Amino acid sequence: MVGTSAQTIVVAGGSLAGHTVVAELARRGFPGEVVWVRGAERAAPYSKPALSKELMQGRVTPEEITLPAVPDGLRLRVRDELCLRLDPDADRVLVGPPGGERSGDGEWIRFDALFVCTGMRPRTPPGFAGLPGVHCLRTLADALRIRERVRGHGRPRTVVVGAGLIGSEIAASLRTCGLPVELVEQAPLPMAHLFGAELARFCRDRHHEHGVVTRMPATVTGLHPDGDATVLTFDDGTETTADLVVLGLGAVPATEWLEGAGLDLSDGVGCDAALRTARPNVFAAGDVARWPNPVFGRTMRVEHWMNASAQARHAVESWAAGQEGREPPPFADVPYFWSDQYGLKFQMVGYARDHDEVRVETAGADGHPFATYHREGRLVAAAGVNAPRAVLRMKARIQAEAAAEPVPVTEGVRK
Amino acid sequence: MKITVDRTLCDGNGVCMGLAPDVFDVDDDLVLHIADEIPDDPAIQAQVRQAVSSCPVLALTLEE
Repeated sequence: MVGTSAQTIVVAGGSLAGHTVVAELARRGFPGEVVWVRGAERAAPYSKPALSKELMQGRVTPEEITLPAVPDGLRLRVRDELCLRLDPDADRVLVGPPGGERSGDGEWIRFDALFVCTGMRPRTPPGFAGLPGVHCLRTLADALRIRERVRGHGRPRTVVVGAGLIGSEIAASLRTCGLPVELVEQAPLPMAHLFGAELARFCRDRHHEHGVVTRMPATVTGLHPDGDATVLTFDDGTETTADLVVLGLGAVPATEWLEGAGLDLSDGVGCDAALRTARPNVFAAGDVARWPNPVFGRTMRVEHWMNASAQARHAVESWAAGQEGREPPPFADVPYFWSDQYGLKFQMVGYARDHDEVRVETAGADGHPFATYHREGRLVAAAGVNAPRAVLRMKARIQAEAAAEPVPVTEGVRK
Repeated sequence: MKITVDRTLCDGNGVCMGLAPDVFDVDDDLVLHIADEIPDDPAIQAQVRQAVSSCPVLALTLEE
């Protein structure tokens, strides 16, 4: 058991990181009160990776992707509202409905420790939001709205804008559902910023093989309603008409509520290696947390499923260490993500950003491309298709190389 | 410790294999294999608990 019954811990965020913090506090037998501010979605926490994959294809129901209930035994108060503001000098957060700060509709809750797990919101350019037939995908409600349109009358002509991880998955899922799909991307290839050119070409060829029309490189210059449809105009002067537009333009950290609280908000919430922010009793975990990762000697922010749960457990460990007067360990982790497209499993371990060399071979039973990414001669990432053993073997090698020859983190360390 | 996998849900995403490679193995056909004997090692058992609770398709269950 750690902590005291007089303490209050506030957990901000109702997705995987927040859920895992609460479950971990329960597992450790925290005797105080936990206020879990889950957000305004009014849905039980669910598995987000399924939204663009199984749920988008209608292969699972929302019930089937609901996360298990947190263990019993916690004095838990759940608030399906938002954290609207942090007052660090009084160690309190304002909790209320969206817009509650202006309407005076919020309650200040004092805390002994705060976990920031508020994640991201979709990046939507001005003029792209609020149009009928134009959707983002971040929440279950977003996914169900898109599903409703997919299951509605006709086969909606679909344009997916942005061929990053989510955009590429949505395009593949909707094509698998039989819709005519056009995939638009500013870069010449899909997912190239993640995978490099070789695997990106493989991804593009799979889209073509399955009948997706790709428009790359192309930039959308405008969206204009035309009856029930939407006309998209492009930078080369051409246009296309869609019944369903899905924007996959990335996401930005949901940190507005933390402004003015003395935290480093230059990209998410800046943390030290143990996931402590500039305030000693405020921790961060998940997509929103930026921290110096000793495995890579780099400061990073990772927007993947496994990072959220692993960081949440680690942030609780950091808090517990502080309670017990111990120095917490650094969060030293090798990121991992996967993507499902056309029945193929793309997997990547490591951190490939600013790599200076890619070596491509083949791996797995089908001989698909397998890439390793290097920086200054050192292995930093690996990716493959239907080759889980080959990919995950590289995780241990990345860890081993880092342990043998540590690189000091030279940037973004907690000030 | 007994692990069960719901094969109708498991999609071979490899999350469990990444967390507890001594116990979970996903082959190139994306079929999950679970070790018959889970080592009597607290560190590995902690990895197994993490792996089960981290499964994004909620395909794994654990009886302690």
